[in-house]
Amino acid sequence: MDPVTSDTKIAVQNVTKIFQSRQGKKQAEDVVALKDLSMEVRDGEFLVIVGASGCGKTTLLNLVAGFDSPTDGQILLDGSPVTGITPECGMIFQQYALFPWKTVQENVEFGMKMKRMPHRERKERADRFIDIVGLKGFERSYPHHLSGGMKQRVSIARSLANDPKVMLLDEPFAALDAMTRQVLQEQLVRIYEKHRKTIIFITHSIDEALLLSSRIMVMTARPGRIAQEIVNDLPHPRNADVQLSNRYMELKRMIWDSVQAAVMKSMEVEAD
Amino acid sequence: MEINTPSKSLAVSIASLVIFITVWELVCRLGFIEPLFLPAPSQILSRAVKMIENGQLISHTLSSTRRVMVGFMVSSLVAIPFGIFLGSSRFFMAVFDPIISLLRPLPSMSWIPLSLLWLGISETQKYSIVFMGSFAPSLLYIIEATKSIDPLLIRAARNLGASKLDVMREVILPGSLPQIIAGLKVMLGIAWTCIISAELVAAREGLGFMIMNGKEYFQTDTVLLGMVMISITVMVIDVVFRKFERRLLPWTR
Ligand SMILES: Nc1ncnc2c1ncn2[C@@H]1O[C@H](COP(=O)(O)OP(=O)(O)O)[C@@H](O)[C@H]1O
Ligand SMILES: [Mg+2]
Repeated sequence: MDPVTSDTKIAVQNVTKIFQSRQGKKQAEDVVALKDLSMEVRDGEFLVIVGASGCGKTTLLNLVAGFDSPTDGQILLDGSPVTGITPECGMIFQQYALFPWKTVQENVEFGMKMKRMPHRERKERADRFIDIVGLKGFERSYPHHLSGGMKQRVSIARSLANDPKVMLLDEPFAALDAMTRQVLQEQLVRIYEKHRKTIIFITHSIDEALLLSSRIMVMTARPGRIAQEIVNDLPHPRNADVQLSNRYMELKRMIWDSVQAAVMKSMEVEAD
Repeated sequence: MEINTPSKSLAVSIASLVIFITVWELVCRLGFIEPLFLPAPSQILSRAVKMIENGQLISHTLSSTRRVMVGFMVSSLVAIPFGIFLGSSRFFMAVFDPIISLLRPLPSMSWIPLSLLWLGISETQKYSIVFMGSFAPSLLYIIEATKSIDPLLIRAARNLGASKLDVMREVILPGSLPQIIAGLKVMLGIAWTCIISAELVAAREGLGFMIMNGKEYFQTDTVLLGMVMISITVMVIDVVFRKFERRLLPWTR
């Protein structure tokens, strides 16, 4: 294996994750969600992982965030093993996970409150990030009054305000309509360019992967592994011209072939 | 008849109440029923006027209300943090589960003899009856309420740097508050049952005592007046509780 280089932010080393099935002790069939998976994420890169549903993307992200621990292997964050939940890896969930009893402002302040940051400072910082995601004027609204897109923006502001080193996004825009999704994608790119966080972003949309990433990994299912790795060299900004370019089509075809192969393979496994 | 507006149904309710009382009054006035068996509403009303004038009605009502409130408050103040703690810790839940399972089936009234032996006919005994009667069921309600929290929210909070204690205070408590309050409303009813039972058995004041005393002197009107007062007091407290609930849960609006 490659030695961990100095600009490696996250190193996933030979990670296996097996879920023990609970029902029926005798014919218990364990789910091998990830098998001997190794990968690295470099400091400041925007890594997008694509893969069919059920191939272990969420499992991988949960391990990085420390929500769960690997059955075998280890994950290093800045060279030291992840052993528990770490606020340094801020997670953005597809279901937003906003606190319904807190206003937008209070939601965004949450992480800072947990750090016992003084009131004034907390408020100023929250105001700044609410502004960055374009929600000025909604500070005092409760989440159930907001649309899906607005909720996800609150959740992004909440994470940013907590200043994580790494942002983990698990299909964050999958539940949004196409227009809202595009707005949020552009916003996320701007935030990334300005704040230079390390980002791991999960999606099953190849277009989304091509628009956002600096590097793309394709995952295969059962057991989950990395099938292919592609450096996304498309120029910025990735506007309509870029999306119609030959290079874009070429990359799309490449990823599609790889995803398709993975899906076919997993279907064969299931048919057995 | 079609009832399609709230004011219409209110009118129907009022009419129904008026008819009910009028029929009752008539049946008594016309001598179909012995006053000792069932006094007329007017007789109950005149008893009420008498007892308001000599201050007894208010003082009995207030002492029962005070007992319920003190016992219920103490019980809730202990049950809420303890329930949230048990709801968020599998280990301590396992530790306390056998004790709670033993206490749960006990009707509140079964504590009366023991409390009398321990504390005599005192105010403390009244408070403790309310406490013992409502504590175990409140605790179970609260533990149940903590289970309604979306585990994703706990994850999100931990991911934002919340400690386990922070999670209890910032996520589990507010997240289960709507259910806790719904449970406490039911508990308040149980607290009233406790105190009236305790006063019926042994007391020197309170609505339960007033009812029992009325029975001793064959004052059926006093007995019924006591019952009516219990109804009215519980209804008033329910309205106050509902106001309070809206204040506590602004996000559910
Ligand atoms: N807690 C769990 N218990 C048992 N099996 C699980 C659990 N979480 C995920 N799995 C299984 O692991 C595989 C990968 O799941 P997941 O990581 O959620 O996939 P993805 O996010 O790529 O759709 C699936 O087959 C899923 O059924
Ligand atoms: Mg998933």
